[in-house]
Amino acid sequence: MKKKIALLLSLVMIVGLFAACGSGAKFGKNGGGAKGKNAKITFWTLSLSPTFDDYLHGVIKDFESQHAGVKVNWQDVPFEQAEQRTLTAASGGNLADVINLNTDFLKKLAAKGALVDMNKAAADVKDDYFEGAWQAGKVGDTVYALPWYLTSGGLIYNPEILKKAGFDAPPKTEEEAWKMSEVIHEKTGAYGSTPNSVHLYLPSNGVPLVSKDGKKAAFNTPKALELFQFLKKEYDKGLIPDEVVLDQVNMPEWYAQEKLAWWGTGPQLFRQVKDLSPEVYNKSDAAAAIVGSVGRRSMAVMNIAVSSKSRHQKEAVEFAKFITNADNQLKFSKTTPVLPSVKKAAEDEFFTKGADSHDVAEKGRYYSAKQLGSSYDMLAPVENVTQINKVINEEYRKVLLEDKNPQKALDDAEAAVNKLLK
Amino acid sequence: MYKAHHAWLFLAIPGILLLIFTVIPTVAALFLSFTNYNVFSPVGWVGLANYKQLIHDSNFWSAMKNTLTYWVLVTPALSILSIFLAVLVNRKMKGVSVYRLIYYFPVLVSVVVTAMLWKWMFQEDGIMNYLLSIFNIAPAKWLTSKSMVMPSLAIVTIWQGLGYYMLFYLAGLQSISEELYEAADLEGAGFWKKQFYITFPLLRPVIFFVVVVSTMSAFKEFTMMLTMTKGGPIGSSKTVVYMIYEKAFEQLDMGYASAISFALFLIILVLTLINQKFLDKDNQA
Repeated sequence: MKKKIALLLSLVMIVGLFAACGSGAKFGKNGGGAKGKNAKITFWTLSLSPTFDDYLHGVIKDFESQHAGVKVNWQDVPFEQAEQRTLTAASGGNLADVINLNTDFLKKLAAKGALVDMNKAAADVKDDYFEGAWQAGKVGDTVYALPWYLTSGGLIYNPEILKKAGFDAPPKTEEEAWKMSEVIHEKTGAYGSTPNSVHLYLPSNGVPLVSKDGKKAAFNTPKALELFQFLKKEYDKGLIPDEVVLDQVNMPEWYAQEKLAWWGTGPQLFRQVKDLSPEVYNKSDAAAAIVGSVGRRSMAVMNIAVSSKSRHQKEAVEFAKFITNADNQLKFSKTTPVLPSVKKAAEDEFFTKGADSHDVAEKGRYYSAKQLGSSYDMLAPVENVTQINKVINEEYRKVLLEDKNPQKALDDAEAAVNKLLK
Repeated sequence: MYKAHHAWLFLAIPGILLLIFTVIPTVAALFLSFTNYNVFSPVGWVGLANYKQLIHDSNFWSAMKNTLTYWVLVTPALSILSIFLAVLVNRKMKGVSVYRLIYYFPVLVSVVVTAMLWKWMFQEDGIMNYLLSIFNIAPAKWLTSKSMVMPSLAIVTIWQGLGYYMLFYLAGLQSISEELYEAADLEGAGFWKKQFYITFPLLRPVIFFVVVVSTMSAFKEFTMMLTMTKGGPIGSSKTVVYMIYEKAFEQLDMGYASAISFALFLIILVLTLINQKFLDKDNQA
C-alpha cells in the first residue's frame, strides 16, 4: 500500500513539473483555437507596465470595440529580458503577433525574415509618419516596422558654467561647441562636448557608415579621416576624458555634479538630473540639439512590428496602425515626455508651445518636436548594425587612447565591417 | 522502516530538475557546438568548424589571457587571505561574532551594486585617488588603463569574496582539535609554526575546495566586467564568458558560443584535476 502511495506521489510530482513547463512554453502563442472571425492577437511591449497600464488598456479597448471579433492579449516584457524572450519565442515559432522593438534588435530580427514588410502591408499610412522615423525599420530597401514613440536629441545646459567661461548662450553647431569646450575647460574645469562614440557623429557630419546597397563599408573617406584626426586633437588637449571615451560614465550623474557644461540628450531624460540634483536642474536651461555639419539631428525610435508567422496578420497590422496613429500617439505623448512619429500628432498645440516655459524638460520638448522634420534615425539599415557600430567605436577608441594612426584605424574598421556585411 | 524506494523518491525530484535544467541543456550545447545554429535558421551540422575557428580566433585568445590574468590575481589571494581572516575570527574573544558579520557583509551585497559602488570609488576624482593624493601619489587610472583594469577588478572581487571563503575555513578550523595547539604550545611553537604544521595541513581539504570553487567562479566572472568596464579599455577586461555572452546573445552565433563554452569547460576541468593532484592528496586512491 505504502509503495503504491509513494509511486502515486512521485507520478503526481512529475506530471505537475511537466505541466508547469508546458504552460511556460505556451507563452506568447497567438491565440490558439481562434476560428473564423474570432482573432486573438498577442501584443508585446517593452517595459511599459505598470506605468502605462491605463493608457494601453484604453487603446486596446478602443481597438477591440472598433474591430468586432478581435481580441488583443497584451503582455509586457522587461527591457533587459526582451531580446532573450523574443529569441526564445521566435525559435519556437511563438513570436507575438505585434511586437514593440528597439531599432537595433528590430534590424536583426527583420534580416532573419521574422517580420512583415510594412512598405506593402501599411503602404496606405506611410506618408503619415516623419520620413526620418519611417526609415528606422529599414533593412536594405524594405521597412519592417511602423515607427511608434521616439526621442530626438535636445540640449540641457548649465548657464552658470557658461557664464563663468564668458558665454551667454549654448552652442548651435559642432564647430562652435568645440571652440566653447576648450574655453570652458580651461576656465572652469568642466567639459563641453563629450563624444563617447562615433557611429552617430560620423553620419551627422556627412559620413555614411555603409554603402546605399548595404553591401560594404562607406566610411573610409578623407572626411572621416579629418574627423578622427580632429577628435584626437581635442582629446590630446584634455577635452574628452578617458572615462567618457570608454563609455564608463553615467552622463546625468556627471551633469548633475556640474562636471559637464551641457548634456546632449532627449528631453525625456532631463528629469534624471532633477532626481539627482534638483538644484542643478532648476538652474539649467534647454536649447535645440547641437547640429552636425550636414544639418541633420539624430532620433531614437521605438518600433511596432508584426510577425511574419502571425496567423492573424491582417488584424495584427491593423492594430499596429491603430496604436501608432495620430490620436493614440498624441495621448501617449501627453502621459510621458516622448515625441510622436506621426506628423499630425506633432502639430498639436501641446508640442508647439513651451518655448518660454520655466520647466527645462517642457522647453526641451518644444525644441525636440520642432526639429522632428530634420531629424533622422541614423543607424545603418543593415542586420549587423550593433556589431558594425562596435567595430567603428573600438577603432575610434584606439586612435584616442593608444595613438593608433587614424588612417590605419579606418582601414582596419573598414575591413572588419566589410567582413560583417558579407 | 525506511526502504530503498523512499530514497529513490527523494532523489527523483532533484534528479529530474538536474536532468531538465543541467544535463539536457549541457548535452544540447555540446551538440550545438558542432552546428551553425543561429536561432532562426534550421540547425546545420558543421563538424569541427567552430573549434577550428576558435583555435585561430585572436579575440578568443585575448579573452583567455584576460581570464587567466584575473584568475591568477584572484584565486591565490582569496584562498590565502581568507585563511588568515578565519584564523583571526576563530579566536575566543569578546565581540568576535561582530567581526565575523562585518567580514561576511560584502557577500550579501549584489555584484551589480558592488560594481556600481566601486566604479564610483575608482573614478578619476573618486575616493581611491583622493586617498592616494593624501600620500602625494599621482592619481591612478584604475579602470581606464589597460594595465590597471584587471588588478582593479581583482581588488573588488577579493573585497567581496573574502568573507565567503572565510566561512568555509572557519568551519574547517573549528573541527581541528584544540589539543593539537595545546601540545604545540607545550613544545614552545610560535604562531606561524602552529599555522604551518597544524592549521594548513589539516585544512587541506578545505583549501582544495576553496581553490576549486574560486577558480570556477574566476573563470565564469562576467557581471562585474559588464557593469564596470563593458570589457574595456579596448577589450582588456573582456573575459571568455563575456565573449560567450556577446557571441550568443548579441550576435546570435549560438554554435560558436557553445564551442567556446566547451573549450572553457575543458580548461576548468584540467585545472580542477591539477588542483586535485596537488591539494586533495587524502582523497586520492
